[in-house]
Amino acid sequence: MKLELDVLKKIRFFDDYSEKQLETIAGMSSIKEFKVKDILFEQYDELTDVYVLLEGCLSLGISLAKEKRIHLGTLEEGQLFSWSAVFSPHISTAWVMATCPTKVLAIDARKLNLEIEKDCGFGLKTMTKIAQTISHRLSDTRFQLMNQLTL
Amino acid sequence: MLNNKNIYKPIRAKLTDIIDESSFIKTFVLIPEEEFSFKTGQFIELSVDGIGEAPFTPSSSPLVTEQLEVTVMKTGYVTEYMHMMKPGEYMGIRGPYGRGYPVEKFFGKEVLILGGGCGLAPIRSLLYALEAVKDKLVKVILCYGSKTPADCIYKPLFDRLNRTDKFETYRTVDKADEGWDGSVGVATSLLNKIRINIRNAIAVVCGPPIMMKFGTIRLLEMGYPEHDIYLSMEKNMSCGLGKCGHCMMGEFFVCKDGPVFTYSELKSTPDIWK
Amino acid sequence: MSYYSIRKEEWDKILEQLILSYTVFATVSNEFGQDYELLKPADIPHILYNKPKPTTSLKSFFLPVKENVTSARDQEKPRIIMGIPNCDIEGLNLLDEIYLDKDYIDVFFKDRRDQTILISSDCFSTQEHCHCQSYDIKPYSTRTADLSVVQMNGSIIFRSINGKGEEFIKKIAGAVPVNDNSIITGIDKKHKETEALLIESNKDLPDYETTGRLISFANENIWKKYSSDCVSCGACTTICPTCTCFLLIDKPGFAKVKQMDACQYPGFERVAGGEDALHELPQRFRNRYMCKYLWKPRKYKSLACTGCGRCIEACIGKINKNELFRELAK
Repeated sequence: MKLELDVLKKIRFFDDYSEKQLETIAGMSSIKEFKVKDILFEQYDELTDVYVLLEGCLSLGISLAKEKRIHLGTLEEGQLFSWSAVFSPHISTAWVMATCPTKVLAIDARKLNLEIEKDCGFGLKTMTKIAQTISHRLSDTRFQLMNQLTL
Repeated sequence: MLNNKNIYKPIRAKLTDIIDESSFIKTFVLIPEEEFSFKTGQFIELSVDGIGEAPFTPSSSPLVTEQLEVTVMKTGYVTEYMHMMKPGEYMGIRGPYGRGYPVEKFFGKEVLILGGGCGLAPIRSLLYALEAVKDKLVKVILCYGSKTPADCIYKPLFDRLNRTDKFETYRTVDKADEGWDGSVGVATSLLNKIRINIRNAIAVVCGPPIMMKFGTIRLLEMGYPEHDIYLSMEKNMSCGLGKCGHCMMGEFFVCKDGPVFTYSELKSTPDIWK
Repeated sequence: MSYYSIRKEEWDKILEQLILSYTVFATVSNEFGQDYELLKPADIPHILYNKPKPTTSLKSFFLPVKENVTSARDQEKPRIIMGIPNCDIEGLNLLDEIYLDKDYIDVFFKDRRDQTILISSDCFSTQEHCHCQSYDIKPYSTRTADLSVVQMNGSIIFRSINGKGEEFIKKIAGAVPVNDNSIITGIDKKHKETEALLIESNKDLPDYETTGRLISFANENIWKKYSSDCVSCGACTTICPTCTCFLLIDKPGFAKVKQMDACQYPGFERVAGGEDALHELPQRFRNRYMCKYLWKPRKYKSLACTGCGRCIEACIGKINKNELFRELAK
């Protein structure tokens, strides 16, 4: 548990969480490791964990068919992803694949939602930060789209 | 005879070398026939004899005064002619014009440079200038995004800076190709991975208007004060003298009041990203 | 400021002499009204005094439509321009701020300014679209011109405005200081009458600063409405005493030709990548007013519109900017 608290403190997403809140999250998290070409999840998979990339490299994209993957972007260390696990219908909007040995923090989404319901302060902070993450991702994606559409 | 200095008259510069950076970008190495120097971020009006002139920010170090380098992307009439030139021919230079980067204000701070596309040319000049005073800086981080890996010019520069004390560089592309194993996404997504002390940092944004708009919004969200975000604005600079009116952006002449502005100076000017 | 007088017949003879050593321009009546003309002795009886205003603005004497700005050149020949209304004189103040800016002095403009004696003419009547008074500009000069001239009761009365004007008058044989106070009072009375005429005919026109504010808040419908008859001909900018935007055109031998340009023309702000902030005509139409009433005042002390009304007269679409401002002010 102590190891995971130190791990959490290094993650920007958790910058302004209290020690107690970090302990709560640590209690519902684990570290998962992936090898090159491991698929963390496919587009349309049902998700149970929210992830944060700790070390390594992840690619993200959509699929036209099972074997036809369109690579749209990469995730950077410290970025939160698989947020769809938190909201119904908990279905992934993209596939994510490891392109080098990778470590992620996996937070149990069901336990996270229970805590969000129980503790309003924690809930508001967490949902706000998840919303900001999604907002940035959408903004970056639109910017990327504009670059393709314009000269 | 009228004796006073003629503000419209260019000086001649000999084109001594042309470096192919990509299929449509070349760097011209020029030796001016008269004494010439510039501050990083200032621009020149570079002309092709009898054809036309266009504004460029030199991409070379401001400390090297015997020659200067100008990186030119082929996008229009004048630049197409420029791309047809050969070493030994002459070009015209007027300038340097405008307000460059106030490097002294960066001393003692962390410098974040967010660049995209053709913005790398003026950024390279700034990087050289910062390298020369790196003892006075805390650190310099470059986050640069290009459309594809082939569109990123000056690749050896990134390798060299990554081996230079106090410098970190990060690259990303909008669209990867076969050989690319780095980040994919826009330049602003690189801001997720850097560690910077906002309370003691300045940011420089330089690139196409779309990128500058998104970049500035993201930097403000990160907590950068408006007066610490430096933007290099691009407009139809023509005379360079604050007279012809082509580069007016609200009340500002980009050629004279800029091209480097802080965001706080521009925030109430409408349509700066057009 | 001192007053001097000379009999008109003597002044006409002096003018014949001046033509020999100066290039003299004066406002002369013609079939269309009046305009600045290169003065020949035969024109002297047709010089108009105190009657606004020449069709062309003073600007073209200092900023030609087209000029080579890199060729070796001799000094301009000394010249006199006579009969300048104060709206043109005040417009020159803005041109001075732009072209004599200490960082980049335009030597050709400076030479023309140095070599020119400016003789303004007090307006004793008004034209339909004159509105200088609405912008606190008097219908007679108190600065920038070297001297002014008034025709009254068979005499020509000079008012020296600066040292150069004083020197010029002192060299005129036959010009004597005015002793009769009633002459000066008579001129003052004429000034006030003209000012009253201007105030009356421009009653509901907002002042300069208010106009700037109204324009900045105007919604796009008003620009679409008033620009619907605009064809971007650029007549307004060409004739305007204070519009000076230009193009630099490259010629062989690294020569440059400076040619008048206008934000009204398409492509004025187009960059190499193709983006054009003023692509749409209503945007270009609006831009000129934003520039004159909002942006230039933030940069310069001098006004960017002196109320001469020429833009209204010149517009082939019969667009009247004062109608627009009155509508905004309602």
